[in-house]
Amino acid sequence: MAKKNDILRRLWRRWDTRLSLIAIVVYLCVALYGEAVYRYHKIQDTTAPYNQVHDDYRYVKPAFFSFFSDGQQPADGRPFYPLGSDNLGRDVFQRLIQGTRIAFHVGIITSLIAIPLGVILGCLGGYFGGKADALVVWLCATVASMPGLLFILAVAMVVGQGLLGIYLGIGLTTWVSVCRNVRGEVMKHRNRAYVQAARVLGYSHLRVIFRHIMPNVAHIILIAFSIRFPASVATEVFISFLGIGVQGEPSWGIMINNARLRLWQGVWWEMTFVTLAIFILVLAFNHLADALRDLLDPALRSEKVK
Amino acid sequence: MSSKLLLSTRNLKTWFPIKKGVFARTVGYVRAVDDVSIDIYDGETLGVVGESGCGKSTLARTILKLEKPRSGSILMNGEDLLTMKGDQLKAFRRSVQVVFQNPQASLNPRHTVLELVTEAMLAYGLTTRETRHADAGKLLNDVGMPSDVLDRYPHEFSGGQRQRISIARALSLNPKLLICDEAVSALDLSVRAQVLNLLEELQQKRKLSYLFITHDIGVVEHISDRIAVMYLGKILETGPTADVLDTPAHPYTRLLMRAVPRIGTPLPEDDTAPVEISQTKEIKGCPFAPRCPLADDHCRSNTPPLEALKSAKHQCACFKPSV
Repeated sequence: MAKKNDILRRLWRRWDTRLSLIAIVVYLCVALYGEAVYRYHKIQDTTAPYNQVHDDYRYVKPAFFSFFSDGQQPADGRPFYPLGSDNLGRDVFQRLIQGTRIAFHVGIITSLIAIPLGVILGCLGGYFGGKADALVVWLCATVASMPGLLFILAVAMVVGQGLLGIYLGIGLTTWVSVCRNVRGEVMKHRNRAYVQAARVLGYSHLRVIFRHIMPNVAHIILIAFSIRFPASVATEVFISFLGIGVQGEPSWGIMINNARLRLWQGVWWEMTFVTLAIFILVLAFNHLADALRDLLDPALRSEKVK
Repeated sequence: MSSKLLLSTRNLKTWFPIKKGVFARTVGYVRAVDDVSIDIYDGETLGVVGESGCGKSTLARTILKLEKPRSGSILMNGEDLLTMKGDQLKAFRRSVQVVFQNPQASLNPRHTVLELVTEAMLAYGLTTRETRHADAGKLLNDVGMPSDVLDRYPHEFSGGQRQRISIARALSLNPKLLICDEAVSALDLSVRAQVLNLLEELQQKRKLSYLFITHDIGVVEHISDRIAVMYLGKILETGPTADVLDTPAHPYTRLLMRAVPRIGTPLPEDDTAPVEISQTKEIKGCPFAPRCPLADDHCRSNTPPLEALKSAKHQCACFKPSV
């Protein structure tokens, strides 16, 4: 069985997965930097750079382009805008970094809600079968049949707008696919001889599930995370775009919503850089998820000629 | 052979319901184990033979409490297994262990040999974190493995070695009865002989009893003290190995023995080709009657009971036993 280091090495060996890994690490650093900036200004109780409004410098083009710009000449004392400024003169670059921070918050916290929920329910249903399984399948079907957005809206109504609503809304709707995968895999293992042997040795059901079966389905958890993360990010963007998500902080969705109105007046940079950031992050994660599945899923691996 | 009764089943039935339709109505049963009574004595080996699908493994699984029987009883030292709970059940788990057919599947691929062999001992308090290495080494030596393989994973071993590890795991709790469910069937001939010899050696050293389940008459002949021949969930003939194999009384036993190829003698024509038999319907009469060359109307309408032949130990369920 491949060890963790071995998997990393294999991912590193291929140029495409190496690029994905690098991209994700860069994003992670950016998010950490964003977190530091956010914390710093919260403690200092000052207005963070991404929220500083400059009425005089609205719609400044990105720094690179302003060399060629016709109207606005770089003036003394004007802030440096690497990626331009928005309708209130706020720095798009700084806001993009904060958006990355929010995206990682959402991706990680929703996974922390959805994956344990899915894994535990999937294990119980798959292992015990019968009535427990019927209940788990019913729960899955019920949650899956509700439109996710409607559910998230309802949660946002209950706990109030903002990040908490997003965490709970996405977390409580997306465990279904994790649960189904884990359940199927556990059912496969339940009747294997090593599980039977463990039962004959007199171990409790919980011990059999978590010490004997779980390590053999752990790869699903890793794959689930790599799939769930970008999906959650995309959902958050969409919800924030609709205005029921993040409030008062620069999420990617809010930025897109902001930029949408002035796109036709030639203010292309905000929209472009935000969508590019989302695109690269989601692409890198999806590509990595694919490669991970190929590496870790024994069923898929056996079909591939190496 | 001591004669103390270790484990016995009485009229054991394990039926699997067949469910059909939207409401999962039970439309019938597969009678995997049908009215089986066997006895296993201290220190002896009972071989159960029969063709695939005859219920041998289900019998083993029922005794191991992996399947719930429909009726009947399993007695261990006079206590009924089916009503056991708590400490009694724990004691039972310690005294009956199993070795499965496929050593590849019966060892958890994510556990090291050390974990495989000593996890149960730790759980039952038979060893501690400090002494487990030494105990595991001792067990491995007992089954003929070097003791420096404790950090390796099952996939690093050959089939025979893996089966030795399964045996070591089963022995870790010091059981009285070891159920070997086709334990050597997946192994090469040469390795099979080694493992069989190991099992015999362990039996003498540890005073073990075996319930040895196999389809291979040669293996059974080698290792068993007594034999039970199973067909369609029923025991057709049982007795001391020599009696059953030298003077097989039941036509089915004779059929099984003829199926064993012997060098120098061509295989005889099979005049009792298997017929499609529904396991789901209640069998009327002798279960072997549809395939039996001697069957008449009496056989087809009445079920023959297990009756003693010349010696009381050799029993056969046939109206026309050849004595």
